[in-house]
Amino acid sequence: MRELDPANGSIGPESSAANTGARRGALGFVTDVTLCIGCKACEVACKQWNDLPMDDLGLTGHSYDNTNDLGATTWRHVAFVEQFGQGRGSQSMSNAPGSNWLMLSDVCKHCVNAGCLEACPTGAIIRTEFDTVVIQQDICNGCGYCLPACPFGVPALSQTDGKAHKCTLCYDRLKDGLEPACAKACPTDSIQFGPIAELMPRARKRVTTLRERGVESAYIYGDRAVGGTGGISGLNAFFVLIDAPEVYNLPNMPELPQRKTMASYLTTIGTAVACGVATYLTLRNR
Amino acid sequence: MTSTYRRGWESRRGSGRSVEDASRTNYYGLPAIHKPHWNWLIIAYFFLGGLSGGSYAVGSIAGLFGDRESRKIARVGRYISFLALLPSPILLILDLGRPERFHHMLRVLKVRSPMSVGVWVLLIFGAFCSLSAAGQAAQDGLLGRRNGAARLLRALPGHVVGALGIGSGFALGGYGGTLLSATAVPLWTKNGVLLGPLFLLSAVSSATASITLVLSLARGTRPTTLARLERLESLALLSEVALLLFTQSRLGRTIARPLVKGRLGLIHHFGVLGLGLAAPLVLQYMAAFRGEAPSRVVTALASALALSGGALFRYVIVTAGRLSADDPRATFDLASGQSPTAW
Ligand code: SF4
Ligand code: SF4
Repeated sequence: MRELDPANGSIGPESSAANTGARRGALGFVTDVTLCIGCKACEVACKQWNDLPMDDLGLTGHSYDNTNDLGATTWRHVAFVEQFGQGRGSQSMSNAPGSNWLMLSDVCKHCVNAGCLEACPTGAIIRTEFDTVVIQQDICNGCGYCLPACPFGVPALSQTDGKAHKCTLCYDRLKDGLEPACAKACPTDSIQFGPIAELMPRARKRVTTLRERGVESAYIYGDRAVGGTGGISGLNAFFVLIDAPEVYNLPNMPELPQRKTMASYLTTIGTAVACGVATYLTLRNR
Repeated sequence: MTSTYRRGWESRRGSGRSVEDASRTNYYGLPAIHKPHWNWLIIAYFFLGGLSGGSYAVGSIAGLFGDRESRKIARVGRYISFLALLPSPILLILDLGRPERFHHMLRVLKVRSPMSVGVWVLLIFGAFCSLSAAGQAAQDGLLGRRNGAARLLRALPGHVVGALGIGSGFALGGYGGTLLSATAVPLWTKNGVLLGPLFLLSAVSSATASITLVLSLARGTRPTTLARLERLESLALLSEVALLLFTQSRLGRTIARPLVKGRLGLIHHFGVLGLGLAAPLVLQYMAAFRGEAPSRVVTALASALALSGGALFRYVIVTAGRLSADDPRATFDLASGQSPTAW
């Protein structure tokens, strides 16, 4: 295991481009929680561009979050976390009443090694020329295997058409050289779109700035140190966060679910051999 | 995973906080991952597929190496496996969001996707299983005596077909567990490499139990045949119970919760472990201790219990997995980076 200077965290000297396994020319997002104002323009822009129907909304009581989760018709989801108590709030405002309001626009991570893609038995899920992960709607047969195979809970089956849906990183817009609708709509540039090779250094600079200004808990979620762990090798849609991943409903050190599949096959084959031998020994002619 | 790397929020957490504490932090208790929609269709398929694959393999081995009496085992095994196979593709197709597109599964073979591998296993096994059953039916005169097809099938070297199909039978019995383990669902993927073996053992015990049940009800089965089958059945049940308890003990409190708490916990303890696994073993060994062969009624009862235990086991594992997917604490415990997931 690599050792990083705790003071530098994921922006340490060792963590240049090698910090993510993103392929050459990969495009993606960085979503910066410290810039998000919770306006949900990204959710709306996503729905408009992608022709997604309205959700069956009600009041959840979860702060301003009435969508709760990513779904078949919600490909961007803004999470709202209200925090009260000691040590809450950014350091620069430590004399303020001690409250903090975190907002984060969650999205498909377009994993460098994607669990959903490896699971899909129809080959509907593909990696595009932009290194993004897209479900081909004319292929998917709604088997539902990609749902539990995503360590972040992103794809969902639609009740309407029976197929799996998730963010395509606006594949159609990328083809035309446009940036994705959510990034275009975001009024504070909390969502930024671009080549990973540019976004990663920019995010690291941002984390440095935040730490200098007293937000010492800032870090990148989605490099090989946090989030893009366990064989996932990095997220092409990564985040700048200021609290533990779980607070935003993100797993700390997720693993690629297919990591142990070969070992699993081997143990099963071993058991099959043992069963065969046992059957032979008990039922043979004596 | 021992990383000395620390994020800012970790120092705020304080080094004294346990994994349990850390993973208690969550987002309104909402699930962190999406569970599959799989319901009774898939549960029934896992059971029938296992039964089909298992009885084919057991029957074929008995037919290959057994005496004349063992032919009965082979014959019953072939019929059971064919009957259990018949509904399997229908259950699978009905479960799809778009059933009319089922054949899209046949576009690709992805070795890293157990579902893709399973589809092909089912296809190959289906061919072997149908061929064997047809051959058996022809021999039993069920297809008529004179016609060419029946004559052709009678000429089929049944043992060779059976021998070639054994592998696919076992594969069908075990791949369900592998399929579940290759997900982010905590209860399935923690100790995931043990789930395939567990499904396979359950398939073999169900298969043996069903063959025993049929033969114990049939007239003219020799007691020695039943005794041999019972020995195999108890062997499978014993290994199954041991592996199941071992797996469960290694899940950790948070992830194992659905297997322990509530209605499902009761079904697991009394249905699967009690009636399905322990009861048949006790019934069989009670007779053995008294030094006599168990009566046919006891044999039939033990087999029926083991069989229903196999079905309940599939139900419990699928349902418990879905519950654990809904529990963010389980997901965060799994992905804490601090609990070893080496298995
Ligand atoms: S976040 Fe989930 S849905 Fe998105 S690419 Fe990764 S595994 Fe697939
Ligand atoms: S639901 Fe569709 S996209 Fe998901 S794994 Fe199945 S076929 Fe692939």
